[in-house]
Amino acid sequence: MIHADDGSLSEEQRLMRDSCRSYIDDVVTPFIRANWQREWDMTPGERLSPEILQGAEQIGVRTLGVPEEFGGIDLDRESEVRTFALISEEIARGDSGLSDKLVQNWKVSILLREFAPKHLQAKWFPRLLEDPQFLLAHCLTEPRGASDRWLPYNVPEASMNTRAVLDGDHWVINGRKQFISNGYDASLYVVYANTNPKVGMLQGTSSFLVPRDTPGFTVTKCNETMGCRFMNNGELVFEDCRIPADHLLVKDQAMGSAGQYFRAGKIIQAAKNLGVGVACFERTADYVQNYVQGGRILIKHQAVAIRLADMATRIEAVRALVERASKAVDENHPDADILCNMAKVYASEEIMKVATHALELHGGNGAMLEFGIEKLFRDAAIFLHMDATVDVSNMKIIKNMFPKTAGKYAGPEE
Amino acid sequence: MKILVAVKMVTDPNVKVRALTDGTGPDLASVKMAMNPFDEIAVEEAVRLKEAGLATEIVAVSIGPAKASDTLRTALAMGADRGILIRADQAVEPLAVAKLLRAVADEEAPDLVLTGKQAIDDDSNQTGQMLAALLGWGQATFASRVKLGDGTLEVTREVDGGLQTIGLSLPAVVTADLRLNEPRYASLPNIMKAKKKPIAEKSPADYGVSLEPRLRVIRVEEPPTRQAGIKVGSAAELVQRLHNEAGVL
Repeated sequence: MIHADDGSLSEEQRLMRDSCRSYIDDVVTPFIRANWQREWDMTPGERLSPEILQGAEQIGVRTLGVPEEFGGIDLDRESEVRTFALISEEIARGDSGLSDKLVQNWKVSILLREFAPKHLQAKWFPRLLEDPQFLLAHCLTEPRGASDRWLPYNVPEASMNTRAVLDGDHWVINGRKQFISNGYDASLYVVYANTNPKVGMLQGTSSFLVPRDTPGFTVTKCNETMGCRFMNNGELVFEDCRIPADHLLVKDQAMGSAGQYFRAGKIIQAAKNLGVGVACFERTADYVQNYVQGGRILIKHQAVAIRLADMATRIEAVRALVERASKAVDENHPDADILCNMAKVYASEEIMKVATHALELHGGNGAMLEFGIEKLFRDAAIFLHMDATVDVSNMKIIKNMFPKTAGKYAGPEE
Repeated sequence: MKILVAVKMVTDPNVKVRALTDGTGPDLASVKMAMNPFDEIAVEEAVRLKEAGLATEIVAVSIGPAKASDTLRTALAMGADRGILIRADQAVEPLAVAKLLRAVADEEAPDLVLTGKQAIDDDSNQTGQMLAALLGWGQATFASRVKLGDGTLEVTREVDGGLQTIGLSLPAVVTADLRLNEPRYASLPNIMKAKKKPIAEKSPADYGVSLEPRLRVIRVEEPPTRQAGIKVGSAAELVQRLHNEAGVL
């Protein structure tokens, strides 16, 4: 129980999961427990020791998504998203921020594999493979909003503020991006910008490849978050940032073409969330079977047993939905969009309840920084907002289910 | 130079195993399985010898149920070149294991057989020794250091009194102790690559070896539950209780 059923996995998936679990149990969890203060180091680069990423290198989890022809590995495509889910869950079981750091690389690698011209793949994939500290970032959100502003309706008023204009053989990008995962320390960015203000966002948004050292591109700050603190979230500014024309990945239709990324992203989001839930359960199950109160171990107190059962049931329910949704994405099922949003939003709300039980069952210890349970609680809380809020996700579900009524644009506000 | 590595699937070392209520054996239903940790060390040593250019091929062999192919696949992901799975659904005693491995060694003609000093399930610690005897090869058990020369082997062994270094000529059988090395993780890319490496499936009958048990398990029971400790009021009481109740003073 609690973990994925081995019978539902292929031999490779089982071995990969086991390898990740050993790395997490041997390296990551002991580091996080022993260095809990580092989460609060206000020098972002100092938080996660470089050895952790080097360890990730030993099991090869930083560079999934890089095609075999460029030195990576090809996962079985028909179960790729399920595999991503399994692995990101295992890593998040050790640290949700580390998982987030790594999965950005997989997701952006998929985009590059699909849309970047071969010569740029040949340039960047080897660099990604060579440098253990090399991270990728995906830049959609802007100061004026993210999915809450532009995804409900596909109209010009909702388009991105970041603009890209073709000037000779260069695209010139101006604008700002914020709340970007890995934004603070990535080496290569995929940036979305408006290239046609007259049409809706789905027809007028293009994506570009922007190397960190491009003139006119600045990383302005690291956002200090309440959870997921080992991933450095950043803010970016583009001022007449000139990108060679061949760095255009998808013209105008970038939002639609990136569907593959968005769907896999929702599943991975839910899976990381599940990993935090599993960590909550494992830590709590251990605690209540050892901590004695009123002359008997906690688990023998019925009120404790009820909470623990509730945690386990919610985790299993989330897992069932994540597995169904990831299968739907892998099989390109017509309901995949709906299901992956359902998995993301359901995981975030259910695991928040799981984390609340964990906090409560640890009593005063649950609130202590050095005990590590409050960290799981904070990490769980972040998922309510990451990759769309609960309310926006619900709206997307209903828009998809009822496109003719809920999906119909009511017109701009007066 | 060719290395044969024998690996066994055992219960995961982190899992708490319980005895079946009827006392016929351990309860292994839905218990997580893994490669015997000492065999993992043996595989790592073989891979290091290959990486150092001293070995050319590593063949991993396992005797067990269909699921033991996971264990072989792990060995392949760590760096072994191909696998042999000898299918056996019942428990196989050390002598039968040694006979099967001898048959494989006859067929494969390795220069070196590496395996763990013992498996953590039955802790027999017999297979390596029996295999060397059956083959008529030299043996170095409980190895904590292996140095390969030209047709020779220098092995440091962990013995009761400390360390003993012995020289052997090849072919030989070496069993790995805990401190020989620290095994690597099977990396995800290598797990995918291992998928393409071949595993040949065999049966004990293919090698003419009978698995007929020679040992009979009479009863398997759990160790008695430890009594809870007590707190004593003073040093004098401690001494008195150690003397009168524990009988150790």
